[in-house]
Amino acid sequence: MKRQNRYGLFMSIPMYIFTLVFVLAPLCYMVLLSFLTRAEVWGVVNEITLENYQNIFTPVYIKTFYESLKLACICMVFIILVGYPFGYFMARLSAPWKKRVSMLLMIPFWTSALIRMYGWIIIFRSNGILDKFLMGLGITKQPLKLLYTYPAVVVGMVYALVPFMIFSVYSSAEKMDWSYVEAARDLGASPIKAFFTVTFPLTIPGLMSGIVLTFVPSMGLFFIADILGGNKVVLVGNLIQEQLMKARNWPFAAALSVTLMLLTSVIIWIYRKVAKVKDLEGFY
Amino acid sequence: MKNKRKHIAHRMAIGAVTVCIMVLLSGCGKGKETQSFNLFTWDGMFPQEVLSGFEKEYGVKINYSNFDYDEDMLAKLETAKGGDYDLVIADDYIIEIAIGEGLVQKLDKGRLSNWGNIDPIFQGHFYDKTDEYTVPYGAGIPLIVYDPAMVGFEITGYEDLWNPALKNNVALIGNYRVIDGIVLKIMGKSFNEEDTAVIGEAGKKLLELAPNVRLISDNNTQDYIVSGEAAVAFLYTSQVTQALAAREDLKVVYPKEGLGFGIMAGFIPSQAPNADIAHKFLDYILKPEIAAKCFEHIGYVCTNKAAVPYLSKEAQESLSLPEEAKSGEFIMDISAEANEAHERIWTEFKARLD
Amino acid sequence: MKKIRFSNFYIGLILVIMYLPILLIVVYSFNESKISSVWGGFSLKWYEMLKTDRAMHEAIGNSLLLGVLSCSAAAVIGTLGAVGMSRIKLRTKGMVEYISMLPIMVPEIILGMVFMTFFALIGLPFGMATLVIAHTAFCIPYVYMMVKARLAGMDISLIEAARDLGASPWRAFFDITLPLIFPAVLSGMLLAFAMSLDDVVISIFVTGAETNTLPVKIYTQMKTGVTPEINALCTIMLVVTLTIVGISGIVNKKSKVGKLRNEENYEK
Repeated sequence: MKRQNRYGLFMSIPMYIFTLVFVLAPLCYMVLLSFLTRAEVWGVVNEITLENYQNIFTPVYIKTFYESLKLACICMVFIILVGYPFGYFMARLSAPWKKRVSMLLMIPFWTSALIRMYGWIIIFRSNGILDKFLMGLGITKQPLKLLYTYPAVVVGMVYALVPFMIFSVYSSAEKMDWSYVEAARDLGASPIKAFFTVTFPLTIPGLMSGIVLTFVPSMGLFFIADILGGNKVVLVGNLIQEQLMKARNWPFAAALSVTLMLLTSVIIWIYRKVAKVKDLEGFY
Repeated sequence: MKNKRKHIAHRMAIGAVTVCIMVLLSGCGKGKETQSFNLFTWDGMFPQEVLSGFEKEYGVKINYSNFDYDEDMLAKLETAKGGDYDLVIADDYIIEIAIGEGLVQKLDKGRLSNWGNIDPIFQGHFYDKTDEYTVPYGAGIPLIVYDPAMVGFEITGYEDLWNPALKNNVALIGNYRVIDGIVLKIMGKSFNEEDTAVIGEAGKKLLELAPNVRLISDNNTQDYIVSGEAAVAFLYTSQVTQALAAREDLKVVYPKEGLGFGIMAGFIPSQAPNADIAHKFLDYILKPEIAAKCFEHIGYVCTNKAAVPYLSKEAQESLSLPEEAKSGEFIMDISAEANEAHERIWTEFKARLD
Repeated sequence: MKKIRFSNFYIGLILVIMYLPILLIVVYSFNESKISSVWGGFSLKWYEMLKTDRAMHEAIGNSLLLGVLSCSAAAVIGTLGAVGMSRIKLRTKGMVEYISMLPIMVPEIILGMVFMTFFALIGLPFGMATLVIAHTAFCIPYVYMMVKARLAGMDISLIEAARDLGASPWRAFFDITLPLIFPAVLSGMLLAFAMSLDDVVISIFVTGAETNTLPVKIYTQMKTGVTPEINALCTIMLVVTLTIVGISGIVNKKSKVGKLRNEENYEK
């Protein structure tokens, strides 16, 4: 066992080094940066301050965090509603179809995310595809003006993130032992009852990992708010980008990032507590 | 185990084929030009034929890389300590900072035979008072464009954007210094106001604009008025040019409260690896016929007086600086404190939308 | 029986919705008009433009190179890491694992900013190297997670048997472990490659003077107006992807019956 251990250690070295040098060190630097002061014209001055964090607690920035969380929650509901059944149904497909469907889910990633959002613009804009469709059916009388509205942003976010949920739920449901469900059914449970007493609890880890993989990134997907929301929905991601690129306030951007990361960690911690597993499920 | 191995070999083969196909697809265009030249500016600042023309004439390969924001450019330039890039074209205020940071080298005017073609109106401004560092490449004034068929009244100034009749019908560019600035203009102040109390005042007024805003975008803002998503748009010059080219019925307004004004200019970073080629390139784009092609392409106000006769009739009109714009005010860099105040009222404004 | 029908219908419906925007992109790549809101008739001019746009070719080349480099690096580091870490019991293990997963959990913009400021701090010049490091960082988790999951479901007795029979740990790794986890490595790489090819936000922060990547090019082009040239490009990428998927499907099927010969044919 000891020799095994040595080889294991040896194999882990690249991962250890890479993680420490190129992930941990940059993150530490960011934390340090968040305590520095911005220079008058450009760059940062090495003066320690807490001002950046105090700044976050002004109403307008608190509101941005709140709005981001709200949007992330709304998106999450839809992502679960769409992704959970999909992943669950997918797990029940025959093996070749599983492969095909997961390939189909992957292919869109091979085209540009930005361009996919442009596809939605074509659908949403006034007198666009959706308007023509709805008006043709006589459901609506006037163009809906859906583009640059909240719903458009939600659709864009759900669209971008739902594959992650699908894969997570799928992998969890796939590993599940279906004989439990059959047993429950044999014992006289209705399909719905069988689902809620047997299937659902067993897929909770997948569901939770889907939530982690989509909830946090959804707060940072600033370009969707830009493209589909007409910049009217301000997310923490947009705020960070603006601080970084326009206001030149790097320390404040860093402070916002640290705060968002702490939030992320809390969510992951909750995940570990609730799902009682250490790893995220998904993608396999 | 043999089977497994075969399986791997087979998968690897598929992988190899994949990579081959993709590399083949992208394989073209990797010649062996002797010298290369790194041009760093926004996307679409030069027509392809001008770039190709220069490459052919001087046997140089141009690497055209892009940035999105001026600040992004400066960050990269700072990291490279004024190296890596040979020529940068950016906005006036950032050039002032770059010069202050010592990232810009003085031009060797002896090598710019076409220097005299520059229209002196665009020289000697705040960012480069002695014309030692920069060659102007286009100027702009943000203007209001509207669709008279959708707007029931005549728009004459910024204040008209607040008219309740325009509810959910205004498209704005996303530059907060400009948008906050027009509020300051309405209040009779300067675009470069540094008093945070005044900026805070402006913020209150700005909030009242929120119900009218249909969208904010820096990208292709003109498309929204062309396609009828919005009835009024406040646009950058190049966007104004494009909007008018697409739809003749649109009207342009030179707001009565006073205009903002900006110049884009090219400069050579202090440690540019190929400063020599950069000079050649600057001289090349100062040639009247070449400059004319460039300005028709970018749609900004022509800063090359010798190029004007080479412009098409419509372009001569749309790309010249109107009389009222000569009093336009530069949007300059302001104190960090004032900048923060601007940023804050802007965030508050955006939070109020929808 | 009925229920299964409904589930198939549901999967089909969602897939159709997912492909709708992509379909529209394909359709509009044949649009004569430059403005996407107007249909100006059928035209192939954007494809012709794409053929001569050298900057675009370079961007594609850079993106592919970047994708291959970073997903390969991630495959090596991630696979070794997953196998190695499954065998050790260091106290720092959980911590390192958690940190290495952060790149896919932290919003991209934070990562981009972190990398930009960090590379600036250590004076690493922006270019392919910085891009590869940044992309490798977010590619590793995909490979790692897949391999780890695969290992968890693996029969360890096989390896132990091999070791008992006197195979060195390295032999055991290459002859037994690797073949068993290879599908997981491959699918991790595939996903990582796709993510690398798709990444805008991080790339935009760490790209250098001579390394425009495709997504960055598209993103910066939005400033001046996206032309249907990009649509044309997406269409081509889609066709290529579908072809590869198709070929590998066929090869898979045939190789079950036939021999490796099929691949040799495809390589030509």
